[in-house]
Amino acid sequence: METNLIIEGLKFMALGMGTVFIFLIILIAVMNAMSTIIHKFFPEPQANIETHQTGTKDNKKIIAAISAAITHHREG
Amino acid sequence: MEKFILKLLAFFVLFAFTSVFANEQAATSTVESTHKEETYQTKPFTQMISGFIASTGINAFINPDPDELSSDGEQMSDFHKGVGRLIMILVTFLLFWLAIAKGFEPLLLIPIAFGGLLANIPVAGIAGDHGFLGVIYDMGLSNEMFPIIIFMGVGAMTDFGPLLSNPKTALLGGAAQFGIFGTLVGAVALSQMGFVDFTLQQASAISIIGGADGPTSIFIATKLAPELLGAIAVASYSYMAMVPIIQPPIMKALTTDAERRIKMTTLRHVSRLEKLIFPILVLSLAILVLPESTPLIGAFMFGNFLKESGVVERLNDTLQNSLINITTIFLGLGVGSKLAADQFLVPDTMFIMVLGIIAFSVGTAAGVLMAKLMNVFPGNKINPLIGSAGVSAVPMAARVSNKVGMEYDRTNMLLMHAMGPNVAGVIGSAVAAGVLISLFQ
Repeated sequence: METNLIIEGLKFMALGMGTVFIFLIILIAVMNAMSTIIHKFFPEPQANIETHQTGTKDNKKIIAAISAAITHHREG
Repeated sequence: MEKFILKLLAFFVLFAFTSVFANEQAATSTVESTHKEETYQTKPFTQMISGFIASTGINAFINPDPDELSSDGEQMSDFHKGVGRLIMILVTFLLFWLAIAKGFEPLLLIPIAFGGLLANIPVAGIAGDHGFLGVIYDMGLSNEMFPIIIFMGVGAMTDFGPLLSNPKTALLGGAAQFGIFGTLVGAVALSQMGFVDFTLQQASAISIIGGADGPTSIFIATKLAPELLGAIAVASYSYMAMVPIIQPPIMKALTTDAERRIKMTTLRHVSRLEKLIFPILVLSLAILVLPESTPLIGAFMFGNFLKESGVVERLNDTLQNSLINITTIFLGLGVGSKLAADQFLVPDTMFIMVLGIIAFSVGTAAGVLMAKLMNVFPGNKINPLIGSAGVSAVPMAARVSNKVGMEYDRTNMLLMHAMGPNVAGVIGSAVAAGVLISLFQ
């Protein structure tokens, strides 16, 4: 009975650490798989870049329009 | 005219009814009051004074009532009724000082310490079955409700982005759980050598302190060893507050100067869809591998899912703020009720404090060593300083990694890299808790 206790503890440790690591390793594999799938089929960042570019184009147009208006005002 | 008479009649009839009814009620109430009335006998004034003195707290501390039972309904020694309570009240003052002057987890230590103060009042029996602390304990602690609600709130506050962008750092969060199981072996070894008498359940409940996760510790303690709850909760929260003191020496001792200067590659962008799917993914995995861990992981992922869904901002806000605050008050007071002298002033408490700090240190060391092991293999190098963040204690442990890293290289920002193992540590300790529960089923 006395000696059993430490051995029990070691058994708990082996099982516990084993489960934690197996869980996390599967989780890592699934995370990697998920990000590959998502980047392949639902590419979000590209859409972002496109909208960003159109945004800057619009800004340039607006800036051009404003500066044109200012020069017109000064000349007039 | 007729209408008026009719109205008048109706009024009289109504009045008659109500008055009869009222009379009846009055009659019954007088009957009841005569029943309740106790016979009051006149006493001489001196006797009244001596009776009052016998009921004061001073008298209760000096001459404990021999018939007084503890909140569990068991006999208590005179030490625990008198001097023990005074000592515990001083201990709660010490906790106030730590929380207010030293800033040690004040959000939890103040409610816990005040609960402890109230629980040690003689005569009033606040922590007993009918005292309000006892009611709070029965309401949400004995059935593990409050830690679960706290876990939901923590889930809503957690961002899994850093973990998703560098998944392999999850292993660091796993390695740090070695603190739990290493301490478990240590605790059973201690009782084997005859210093203490911990059962396997008690040893497991103590060792979970190494998970550095308050709600998980309380969850496990109430399930496996409710008699040790007070000591376990106080050890857990005070060591979590002391993370910036405990961890750096261990981290520095186990790493070389070059390792501490390792710069990690920048984290990639994580899409919203990934963050949304992640909670469901972890929960599905928990369902398949270890259903015993799903109360904790389920609540955690529920909170996180609400946040990441982005469409229930009101619920997310409630979880992160009002709900977690309300629950923290009740959780603290309920835990404090277990700081009663008869439960806290026992030799076990000292061993729990010692084992708790060992659990913390071993967990920190294991995380750092795991990072060094991972650097042996090819791939992006990991700064071993983030390994210590594997012991949950979100976000304190990650901040410590960042701070120690900056001591050696001002430009090395490790905070976001350390958040990965940090949140993986929460998942890891929930899994470890699930394993321990499943072993005792």
